[in-house]
Amino acid sequence: MNIRRLLFNFIFIILSFILQTTVFRVFDFGGVTPNLLLIFTSSTAFIKGDKSGLVTGFFCGLLVDIFFGSYIGFFALIYMYIGFIVGKLHEIFFTQNLAIPILLIIISDFVFGFVCYVLMFLFRTKFNIGYYMTNIIIPEIVYTALVAIFYYPLILSINNSIDEREQRSAKKFV
Amino acid sequence: MSPVIKRRGEEFTLPSKYLLFILTVICISTIIITFNTSVFTGPLNSFAGVFVVPFQKGITTVGTFLKDTTDKLSSITQLLDENERLKAQLDELTIENTNLEQEKYELTELRNLYELDAQYEDYQKTGARIISKDAGNWYHSFVIDKGSDDGIQIDMNVIADGGLVGRIIDVGPDWAKVQAIIADNASVSGMVLSSSDNLIVSGDLEQYRQGYITFSKLVDDADKVSIGDKIVTSNISDKYLPGILIGYISTIDDDSNNLTKSGKITPAVDFEHMNVVLVLLDQKKNAH
Repeated sequence: MNIRRLLFNFIFIILSFILQTTVFRVFDFGGVTPNLLLIFTSSTAFIKGDKSGLVTGFFCGLLVDIFFGSYIGFFALIYMYIGFIVGKLHEIFFTQNLAIPILLIIISDFVFGFVCYVLMFLFRTKFNIGYYMTNIIIPEIVYTALVAIFYYPLILSINNSIDEREQRSAKKFV
Repeated sequence: MSPVIKRRGEEFTLPSKYLLFILTVICISTIIITFNTSVFTGPLNSFAGVFVVPFQKGITTVGTFLKDTTDKLSSITQLLDENERLKAQLDELTIENTNLEQEKYELTELRNLYELDAQYEDYQKTGARIISKDAGNWYHSFVIDKGSDDGIQIDMNVIADGGLVGRIIDVGPDWAKVQAIIADNASVSGMVLSSSDNLIVSGDLEQYRQGYITFSKLVDDADKVSIGDKIVTSNISDKYLPGILIGYISTIDDDSNNLTKSGKITPAVDFEHMNVVLVLLDQKKNAH
């Protein structure tokens, strides 16, 4: 992990969070905003592997916790596990195809929504899962997937350019 | 050989499953710690104040400016028509105002008579702009651009459009987090203004999509409470100042126990289009 990658990750996490809480709150559809932090976590995990995924997820979740969580560590835990599980698929799939990462982002957003529902609503005896499904989880997935189509290639291309630089500087020392 | 042990000539790396385990333990312990205490809020809140809040403020300011400018340009013709109409209305209102002036005089007389001390016009308050809203789609909380530097403290009440918005639940140096009364995890002790019956107002995600919040535990044997009645914050609430308008009753149903009633309230505040709020600087525990 060099300084350039660290800086890139830091800026992207903050950027995603700020966009999610300000700009996309204005462009919301039916009060639902896309989950950019989840896109970033899943993308990093899918491109770089499980370890980067879980660390990215941890910090994304921590940021949400600081601002909007009731307990620090709650969202960090959820994001971290999503990052870790998606990262496990890094070795199985080929990264250049756009369809697979988007599908993974969709699945991870669904898992995120479902876990949130179970932990925050089902435990408080709110059983109407159909309502939450059609009004929050599914719209969030659709919107997130739409944004991910543009967001994922951006993350991928910046990642690739950093990779290239790393390889070049590694060659110098040989 | 264990993968954790450092070998000669190799960079030290921690396998991801160990890292996952360590971070999981950290997360669970912080959840437990923050569940019981508030040790972390100080340093983490200052971090947020340095890195995130300035950007949120900037973007919100620019966004509001752009929106205002486009609104201005598009509505000039509309404004001219409106101006005509308003001038006519002004005449009517002047007459009405004189009537009201007389009534107000009467009212102050009566208030003095009963020594009723003041509505919430008398509370000290400060305006604040909303700079960001909840990252998730589940709860309704938002961040305003004033914090402990401006004298804001936890549990202060927040109003807008003359109605209750929520209360401060977290404060940083130059920002504060507000939990709205429509959030699914929020509830307020309320009172029917006409009959002084107490009830519990609680936010509900399902109802709010249709523009309502719910109330419950209303004891009203005499059937005095009816649709359209004003609901205000009650005198017995320990966080909210008394007499702040919450909304108007829109439906009432009998509970299955036949003792209490529950139903829906139309909130007085438009939570969708809220940009500026007022924070009441007086707190319930300090007031009077």
